[in-house]
Amino acid sequence: MTEPLVIATPPRSGAPLRLPGRALGLFGASIAVALVAPWLLDTYTLNILIRAMFFAMLALTVDVLWGYTGYLTFGQSAFFGAGAYAAGLVFTHLGFDPGHVWLAAGLAVLAAAAIAGLTGWLSFYSGSTPLYASVISLVLPIVMTQLLFSGGTFTGSSSGLTGYTMPDLSLEAWFRIAAGALVLLTAASWLVVRSDGGRLLAAIRDNEMRCAYLGIDTALLKIALLVVTAAIAGAAGFGYASFSGVVAPELAGFVFGTEVIIWVALGGRGTLIGPVIGALLIEWASAYLSGSLPFVWKLFVGIAFVLVIVLLPQGLLPPLLRVFGRAKRADLPALTVTLTEAPLAAHGTDATQPVIELRGVAKHFGSHQVLSGIDFVAHRGELVSLIGPNGAGKTTLMRCMSDGAERSAGTVRIAGHDIRHAPAHACVGFGLGRKFQTATIFETLTVAECLRMARVRIAAPSWWRRSTMLALPPYALEVLRATELDHKLDVQARHLSHGEQQALELAMVLALEPQVVLLDEPTAGLTLEERSRIGRVLVDLAGRFGLCLLLVEHDLDFVREISSRIVVLHQGKLALEGTVQEVVDSELVKTIYAGSGHD
Amino acid sequence: MNLLLDVLTTSAILYIVSAGLLLIFGVMKIVNFAHGAFLTVGAYASLVSARLGLPPVAGFAMALLVGAVVGMAIEWLVVRPLYARPLDAILATWGLAIVLGQLITLAFGREVQFVPSPVDGTFAFAGGEYSAYRLLLVGAAVVLGTVLALLLTRTRIGLVTRAVIMNEQLARGLGIHAGLVRFFTFAAGAGIGSLAGALITPLSSVDPNMGVPWLVNAFMLVMVSGVSMASLLVATLVFGAAQVLLSTFVSPILGGLAIAVLAAVTLRIRPKGFARD
Repeated sequence: MTEPLVIATPPRSGAPLRLPGRALGLFGASIAVALVAPWLLDTYTLNILIRAMFFAMLALTVDVLWGYTGYLTFGQSAFFGAGAYAAGLVFTHLGFDPGHVWLAAGLAVLAAAAIAGLTGWLSFYSGSTPLYASVISLVLPIVMTQLLFSGGTFTGSSSGLTGYTMPDLSLEAWFRIAAGALVLLTAASWLVVRSDGGRLLAAIRDNEMRCAYLGIDTALLKIALLVVTAAIAGAAGFGYASFSGVVAPELAGFVFGTEVIIWVALGGRGTLIGPVIGALLIEWASAYLSGSLPFVWKLFVGIAFVLVIVLLPQGLLPPLLRVFGRAKRADLPALTVTLTEAPLAAHGTDATQPVIELRGVAKHFGSHQVLSGIDFVAHRGELVSLIGPNGAGKTTLMRCMSDGAERSAGTVRIAGHDIRHAPAHACVGFGLGRKFQTATIFETLTVAECLRMARVRIAAPSWWRRSTMLALPPYALEVLRATELDHKLDVQARHLSHGEQQALELAMVLALEPQVVLLDEPTAGLTLEERSRIGRVLVDLAGRFGLCLLLVEHDLDFVREISSRIVVLHQGKLALEGTVQEVVDSELVKTIYAGSGHD
Repeated sequence: MNLLLDVLTTSAILYIVSAGLLLIFGVMKIVNFAHGAFLTVGAYASLVSARLGLPPVAGFAMALLVGAVVGMAIEWLVVRPLYARPLDAILATWGLAIVLGQLITLAFGREVQFVPSPVDGTFAFAGGEYSAYRLLLVGAAVVLGTVLALLLTRTRIGLVTRAVIMNEQLARGLGIHAGLVRFFTFAAGAGIGSLAGALITPLSSVDPNMGVPWLVNAFMLVMVSGVSMASLLVATLVFGAAQVLLSTFVSPILGGLAIAVLAAVTLRIRPKGFARD
């Protein structure tokens, strides 16, 4: 059942193998530096670098959230502060004791994670905007600092906590601990962002709505990601406070949060190494220069930040690498992926039970009624076309079928499940697939990665490795083969032609193994040849594989050729429903399409 | 009675401080994080004017002018390339805030300074006494609100601006120079922000970082107000009242957080905030 069907393009000059070797070399070298450096550097530099390395860990978490997932956060400092205060409070009020170190560390991670859970719940819900999430991330550190200010002698108020007993370690030991942790964290992040799971983060950044319509609960995923990164930031804060012996409210503050963003932006968002280098260099330089040139140095950093955001949004690392001829590393090396056929899960529904059923569906915007009293049923193996003049409410009807929050009244059942107010990703879980009018894909992901995102719902991706196998249902493979996309598996989706992007989106939707597929103008912008090809594919999907297809279409000839049934939507109501002949010959359709209609 | 006046004057101050930010957000869909720095610029403009011995009104005029000129320069150099990248615009304007703050520090030093109030003393009011300057600010807010409303609804400039707010593509198609509208909107927003800084200085002190706490509150108020000056008025009244009441009866710390937290919760429950539709 799972014999390999298609072999992708041959590997490109072994690039996928060389990079991990180089990465391993870099990893080894970093560990060596971490071990040797304490003997070479003076005490002052060591001190500065140890602090900077804890900051760099924080910068890494911001890079994963912002650079990879597209969530601009001003509030990661709050978690660092929470971790730092966990250490400061335990050591100040309970005294120092080896057991208390573990207590403080545990508290640091737990407190940060708990605050992140709450913040995440507030920031991410279906329909939340990126700007709103950033707004919340701005409020968080402000609330945190105010709470610390109001803590009186318990938190030390504005002056923070100092003079507590810290773990008794030599400077050299601290350096090795911090550097070792930083290198390990960087390596782990590197593995994660390259893994199949990590590509999911990039998919969210590229097109969150598409993720939702692939059945992925992006809100939950982002909350989970925030909790994990907050726990790491909390641990880094704990380390910082245990080393420095000082905690102050500013550590949890908004201004520090923006400073982290500056390190990440200057170093290069979405590069991991860039933000680490950015944090280390800027902190180190600040320590030396803010003494001699206090305000000028900060002015310089501010100017550099503005210039980089405006002129070099990718930060300084990628262009520098390009200068040194290492441009290749910016993109992930393509991985040869083998397609296999996935065994189809048997759907419990028999042919007599409708796969989609609408009863009394209505939608109004304010007092403007767009849809009213829509009753509609479709079964397996049907290819239903929804036609009607512009403004008849066709696309609105599709929205009402695919997102429980959209309609104003009525019930929608997908494969027997009442969708109630379920968000889009849950509707996909019931067996719905939706293809949009404009190709909705993940621009920076390869074809294979895009398809894998569509399988996340069925096969949970690994968070540390990249799979070379990709199992797809037979009809998705058919589409790939018919459009020759199976030879372009390692091409980035943004480099595909318009028609290929449309085909890719269709294949992604089919990879969901849906029972009912909504297609919004699948032929829009396609060439005549592409159009007849997609027509054949659609007929095949319904006829051979028993999928139920529902398409919105303007092209009457196309509709006539492929449909098993036609539904006419006119002024927000179902005006007519019947076989192709009945509908095409009807007076109503003639009036509407002859342009003499009253609409 | 004093409480009521506190609410009224606090709301007026919040309105003055947020209006420039809202203007820029409304027209350009860009959150100007340099707004706090504009407040600071205005404050120092009035400080310079006061040191030169000029009357307070000259200080306000100077603040408006300096703010508008700085705003023009910033729009031209930094904001213009970032219209397609709104999140990056937040960052770039924040970077500008750092730059402006450092330039001010280099020029005037880091220490806290004071500007004398143009109107001293208190105002006898319904058996009590109240700071005359705070009451004056209510008048200033009313004037500012009225002028902006008239400009937007009664003039040709306002008509063009509203066209850009509603549908920039269409406005462009009709031959409106959207770039020019944005340029002057940013300058106006910066000027108003700067004027706001000059107006609030007699109540607080002047220092290079004075803008930051104001920025956060103004930002949150604008987020819940959408793009409407009228909803900003409602938002400042409601949240200003919450701030005053919480500060008076519960704790000043909670009062200080009131706007940020309440606005965030409002947006979570009702993403449109106070905006209609």
